[in-house]
Amino acid sequence: MDCRNAEERLPLYLYDELAEAERAELDAHLAACAACAGALAELRRLHGALESRPRLEPSPDLLARCRLDFDEALDRETTGWRALIRSGFGLWPIGATFRVSTALAVLLVGFSMGWAVRQQTAPLRSPRAANINPWMGADLSGLRISGISRVTPDPQTGMVHITMDAERRLILEGSVDDPRIQQVLLYAVKNYENPGIRHDTLEVLRSRSTDPAIREALLYALRHDPNDGVRLEALQSIRELAWSPEVRAAILEALQKDTNPGVRITAINVLLEHADEAVMPALQEVAKRDSNPYVRMRCANAVRELSRGEF
Amino acid sequence: MDGACLELTRGVPGSSPQPDALDERTLIRAAQRGDRAAFEQLVRLYESSVLRLALQLVRSEDEARDLYQESFLKIYRSLHRFRFESRFSTWVYRVVMNVCLDHLRRTARRKESQAPESQEGRPEFFQALPEERPGLDPERTLRGKEIARRLESALARLSPRERLVFELKHYHGMKLRAIGEQCGTSEETAKNSLFRATQKLRAELKGIL
Repeated sequence: MDCRNAEERLPLYLYDELAEAERAELDAHLAACAACAGALAELRRLHGALESRPRLEPSPDLLARCRLDFDEALDRETTGWRALIRSGFGLWPIGATFRVSTALAVLLVGFSMGWAVRQQTAPLRSPRAANINPWMGADLSGLRISGISRVTPDPQTGMVHITMDAERRLILEGSVDDPRIQQVLLYAVKNYENPGIRHDTLEVLRSRSTDPAIREALLYALRHDPNDGVRLEALQSIRELAWSPEVRAAILEALQKDTNPGVRITAINVLLEHADEAVMPALQEVAKRDSNPYVRMRCANAVRELSRGEF
Repeated sequence: MDGACLELTRGVPGSSPQPDALDERTLIRAAQRGDRAAFEQLVRLYESSVLRLALQLVRSEDEARDLYQESFLKIYRSLHRFRFESRFSTWVYRVVMNVCLDHLRRTARRKESQAPESQEGRPEFFQALPEERPGLDPERTLRGKEIARRLESALARLSPRERLVFELKHYHGMKLRAIGEQCGTSEETAKNSLFRATQKLRAELKGIL
């Protein structure tokens, strides 16, 4: 074995990819050739350096996001033109137009019938829903929620319908009083990034605002939610709470600190409704200093109304 | 081959265990008939190893997500063509390897069409890492960082095939015969790719190792 052959085999030697005879031959060469032995030592050091390179492991979050993306891609795949082709359309001979026409006619009739009867039947489930595991009272404490796509209250039954993605998409259904439903809703209010979902969630929670945990979540949303609409919804819900120093403090904070004039004006209205003279100094202060002239005017009016007892 | 598959299908914590062949066959047949739930179960069996490979190759979560999606969509679209003539895992990984190779080629083309970055300006993963051993000899730390920088740079300069073969051999411990099979090439070609990759890495780190 010459040095060129030996060098070509060095990576295979280290990866144990040489046959027994080749390995023995290389061993003999290495024992006699300092240059090749040096090359092997260098290669070992290279392997050492490669081993110190960080190994990236997919996190459960990344896996959950991949599943969600793929689930949506598969939805598009199973309902789009590709699905039509896969189902046989694309395989038909070009001359067989009558079959295409028949299929189209069947589709049209089916669609028309479906449209006609849809009002009389139970709501249709999406194609995705057929693959969703209904929630069977599982413990949600360890559930990794990666997305909430819908929160829908049913005023007639008092139930709430939550569509969310954990390691896979789940649909939860239950009363707002159910602690596990509440757990998801409270999570959504405080942590979920989609403001539309936070808004819908607050709307659902509003009906149970006497519950201490829900009340705390409403106050939290009013103080900390970054979205104006969500804070306004929180304020509207808080409006229905029993008047207390805690509620008053939260509304005064909104009046004095909220960046949105609409929220500040709503706060003025709520304060007026409760005719609490303790709020007078704050109203007077805002009437002087608020950056928005309309807010200043409304505050000044509120001060006058409170002073005259016209509320 | 079996060894290779076992190596690639090591699950991340919490991933599903391997089914026996009969279960997998049942799932494949159901998925071929259009049963989406069965297909999703098949995805669960392979997703962890596919994602790990993708992440290790591209070292970007966003790109790894793209590779995951593209791989499984391709598998979904061509599942009806799987005829049980090879192991399903081999067939799956062949699709995944093709997706990875295409991605690496696209990335390489993009890099070629862009102006070269200066070495100084390039963000380096290792350089961003905090030094966890403050007592360490600073000279040695610097040298370690330089080795890491050159290593990343050399890996990025490998051809797509060299990069994939090197990844599968060095980090996933696959046999060259299996690599050839799953990359749609021969064992000899895989061997040559590994040799060239090793030579390039050695050349890049010459004098510092």
